[in-house]
Amino acid sequence: MSTAVTPAAPTRDDQPAKPATEQSLLRRLPGTLLRALLTQRIVLLLVLLLAVVVTFVALSQRNYLSAAYDTSYMATALISAVPLVMLGLAELLVITSGRGGIDLSVGAIVSLTSMVFGFAYGQWGWSLWLAILLAAAFGGLLGAINGYLIAFIGYPALITTLATYYAFSSVAVVINDQQPISTAPIQKLYSTAASVNVLGLPVPLGTLTFLIPTAVVVWLVLNRTTYGRRLYAIGTNDVAAQWAGIDVRRSRFTAYVMAGVVSGLVAVVTVAQFASARPDAGTAGNGMALPAITIAVLGGVAITGGVGRVAGVVLATLLLVWLNAGILLAVPGNAGSQFQLFALGAVLVFAALLNGLTTRRYGGR
Amino acid sequence: MTTTTTGPGSSPPSTTHEATARGRVLPFPITGQEIVLLAVIVVLWVVLSLATPAFLTAGSIVPLFVATAPVALIGIGMTVVIITGGIDVSVGSMVMVCAVVVAEQMVSSGLPLIAAVLLSVVIGGVLGLMNGVLIAYGRVHAIIITFGTANLFRFLGLQLFGGTTVNGIPDTLDVFGRGGSGRTLGIPHSFLLMLVIAGLAWYYMRHTPGGRHLYAIGGDANAARLAGVKVQRRVMLAYALTGLLTGLAACFVIAQGTATLAPNVGDGMELAAIAAVVIGGTSIMGGRGSVFGTVLGALLVQTVTSGVTQLNWPSQLASLFIGIFILIAVGADLLRQRTRRTA
Repeated sequence: MSTAVTPAAPTRDDQPAKPATEQSLLRRLPGTLLRALLTQRIVLLLVLLLAVVVTFVALSQRNYLSAAYDTSYMATALISAVPLVMLGLAELLVITSGRGGIDLSVGAIVSLTSMVFGFAYGQWGWSLWLAILLAAAFGGLLGAINGYLIAFIGYPALITTLATYYAFSSVAVVINDQQPISTAPIQKLYSTAASVNVLGLPVPLGTLTFLIPTAVVVWLVLNRTTYGRRLYAIGTNDVAAQWAGIDVRRSRFTAYVMAGVVSGLVAVVTVAQFASARPDAGTAGNGMALPAITIAVLGGVAITGGVGRVAGVVLATLLLVWLNAGILLAVPGNAGSQFQLFALGAVLVFAALLNGLTTRRYGGR
Repeated sequence: MTTTTTGPGSSPPSTTHEATARGRVLPFPITGQEIVLLAVIVVLWVVLSLATPAFLTAGSIVPLFVATAPVALIGIGMTVVIITGGIDVSVGSMVMVCAVVVAEQMVSSGLPLIAAVLLSVVIGGVLGLMNGVLIAYGRVHAIIITFGTANLFRFLGLQLFGGTTVNGIPDTLDVFGRGGSGRTLGIPHSFLLMLVIAGLAWYYMRHTPGGRHLYAIGGDANAARLAGVKVQRRVMLAYALTGLLTGLAACFVIAQGTATLAPNVGDGMELAAIAAVVIGGTSIMGGRGSVFGTVLGALLVQTVTSGVTQLNWPSQLASLFIGIFILIAVGADLLRQRTRRTA
């Protein structure tokens, strides 16, 4: 750990007795900064976020963009951050649980739960709260299928969630004969996806009702409960965790169930956003799982498990969302969404390579 | 662990005591999973032909074989990649890039057959090599890199499509198609070519040091490195090979389609290929698996897909069955591992 030295700071203070003089502090500053930038994902994300925002604001002021890139535009763009952050947090929980943990089925869970929520709220006339509860519970049930197979039977997570992705998305399409549900109550739900005025900015309501509560709850679970500590423990080394008396299988199972619950809530968000419960809500095009995993990896979640923070996921989402919003203004038309694909891919590869580099140079955390 | 599959084929038998005691260095050529798969396919065919008499006719079986060929071909590469402990989810986007470049060249400059195939294979190889370099030398988990490159390739493909479709594709590639010119004695060329490549891959994986090295890497990359296997180079080449095969598969895809190529070409092929590999009995953890299993797996996936269509069920129901087949196949694999460990 302590012997790791960056090329920028060749000075190495091995004598702990010697007090850090101002001189050596100054000389070590670049190295310390570089190290913080590379090892502290939060710092890197903040710098990148700043770079993206400054770039686009500068471009906007020189009139290179098709519309103004200002604070109110950025606030409006947060609408696409809502499902991303939530699914990113779902992946955070699952990937942190270790043993190759990953959930490719979150998009399919969103699709299927959208349909179930659509039936309950749009056709059976359930009250909104009851329907939301049902969506969360149903999502949790689908997550429990994943969790049971992975944690208790020992299926590899990647292939299990690939199989359930197939199964859930197929059922979602077949269940209502490929038709979306967009009855009157569901169309009225669109008003809940509107913006509210917060400090003079048009912030999408979903940010306040779904995103922030989910982020806070996941943060509390991970950082303020014994369960959170257990999750990090089994992700770091599940054999050691087993010997420490932790019920590894149940802890891992719970992580998948929680990911399912979060995905179920995302289904409610997307139904409100589209004013229709679509059978391909979470699986159309590239689906939702890929961006969610990208966000998690970019946010510093180690694919090997045991490492990951809520703040990283949130910052990574903001980075991607505001980058995408800027690209839409900079590249008009259809090409804009194609450049978003490019940005997503490039950012993911960059983040992954960086993760590998820092692990080798600084020996992990 | 001394699972018999990871024994290096090049070493003299006398050094592996356990292997000589059991009389063989290599595992039996045909695994249990393959026999079971074959049985399942036969049962499905019998059931389907009872349900719809049109199923077991040449007009139905030949298209089934033709449709199996590209997925199986990509699956062969995917098998090699998964045996080394990796995965490649970018093959679908790779098919798209290869297909659009070749189709556009055929339309604009009337590319002959050989050149079209070569172009496609080379593009696929380059893209695969890119994956391989990033994964082997960047030392990053394969799924992350290939998720990333999948997006990059898709971007590239969409840019090449330019928001429209490629129209008026000539019939240069019809030797791989589903039409009459795509068959000799009723056997589709694409399927035949796939079988030949599968045979070569099977021999390479089973009987050459290079192939055994790939198994060794999947069993324990660190141990393989200490035993003198050039792990990084082998892993890189595995992804490049997948790229080459994907390029050839893209030609099959063009040949099987109409004269129009839409930007959704290749969508979901990575999942179909991975499904074929896993159903074929290859362990997703690496180190175990066989190419022939994958071919059978692809045949099973395609049988389910075309069976669902012929029964006039909603076509999306096929994914449900594929998902269930994956779970059963992986479950069987787990069960076998558990019995082997306790035995």
